[in-house]
Amino acid sequence: MASSSLSPWSMATLRAALPPSPSLRLSAVGYPAPSHFPSSARLSSVRGRTMPLRSFSGLAPMIPLLSLGTGDANFGQVFSNINNGSKYYAMRHGKRVPKLNRPPDQRKALLRGLTTQLLKYGRIKTTRARASAMRKYIDKMITLAKDGSLHKRRQALGFIYEKQIVHALFAEVQDRYGDRNGGYTRIIRTLPRRGDNAPMAYIELV
Amino acid sequence: MAGYVDPLVVGRVIGDVVDLFVPTISMTVRFGSKHVNNGCEIKPSMASDPPSVQIAGRLSDLYTLVMTDPDAPSPSEPLMRECLQWIVINMPGGTDPSQGEEVVPYMPPRPPVGIHRYVLVLFQQKSRLQDVIPPLSRANFKTRSFAAQNELGLPVATVYFNSQKEPASRRR
Repeated sequence: MASSSLSPWSMATLRAALPPSPSLRLSAVGYPAPSHFPSSARLSSVRGRTMPLRSFSGLAPMIPLLSLGTGDANFGQVFSNINNGSKYYAMRHGKRVPKLNRPPDQRKALLRGLTTQLLKYGRIKTTRARASAMRKYIDKMITLAKDGSLHKRRQALGFIYEKQIVHALFAEVQDRYGDRNGGYTRIIRTLPRRGDNAPMAYIELV
Repeated sequence: MAGYVDPLVVGRVIGDVVDLFVPTISMTVRFGSKHVNNGCEIKPSMASDPPSVQIAGRLSDLYTLVMTDPDAPSPSEPLMRECLQWIVINMPGGTDPSQGEEVVPYMPPRPPVGIHRYVLVLFQQKSRLQDVIPPLSRANFKTRSFAAQNELGLPVATVYFNSQKEPASRRR
């Protein structure tokens, strides 16, 4: 596609061709539920001035237009036009949930199984990532047992796979962990696994 | 990680079985060809015979070796802590347990549930021990009280290993 055949561009002609400046365009873009739009007053004042709404492109990235229209640097790839107060990042910055290389349903099942086994056997040997991901759920179960009410018992029964373990836990947790505030597990790192050199650890109930 | 934490402290051997001590005598424990390091995994089938224990020290000193399992019957409910496996007394320094008197015969590890720690503790005797009565039962043994009874003081060496029940069917 030879660009020499096109007439030379200039920023002025381009800017004229575009809809008006990005900050105003933000409010002029059609939302599926305009009633939820918070600044409806601004919208109505702008509507009278701008051209009719184009096809819905509310979630398209603003960056190309921003970089054309204004000279400011945009910091990160933030979709700031999703107007429910959240920010959506393209990277994983700040997300602390361990994914364990599994989809969410399988991940939940894995953690439920691991906590059941740890409460049953007292000490198990797994990979370090799984051991450190489990701690939260073990502490949660022991906290439920410390409370001891029927509602908490039923919540524990919904998480742990074997009900004898839940009943045994609720019976013995007061003498065992009555004084201790949190930190009911201990992780001891060991030699890596032979098959895939995965770093292993023992996790045990304190 | 800042600082080096003794593996005996990490594995809670110091605390459950013995008190904090300063190791003065070097002790090497081997099951066949496998050397025992703190926290290594030993199969019960490998440990059916007593280990070969080599201790340093002068020939004139006498030592006592105690082997227990602090996680009996299960690490999550150690009701029978500790289960006694072996006691050898009057061992001269620089030799092995065959030169001492076996007060309690060696019982190989048989962990029923979970992963158990097996701790070998070496004490230095002040004098030759006579008439050491073996405990009535192996369960609910307390290494500290045994040491206090026979005036053994703090240990001079400790090592521990892990062991779990081997699956009955052959692993494919």
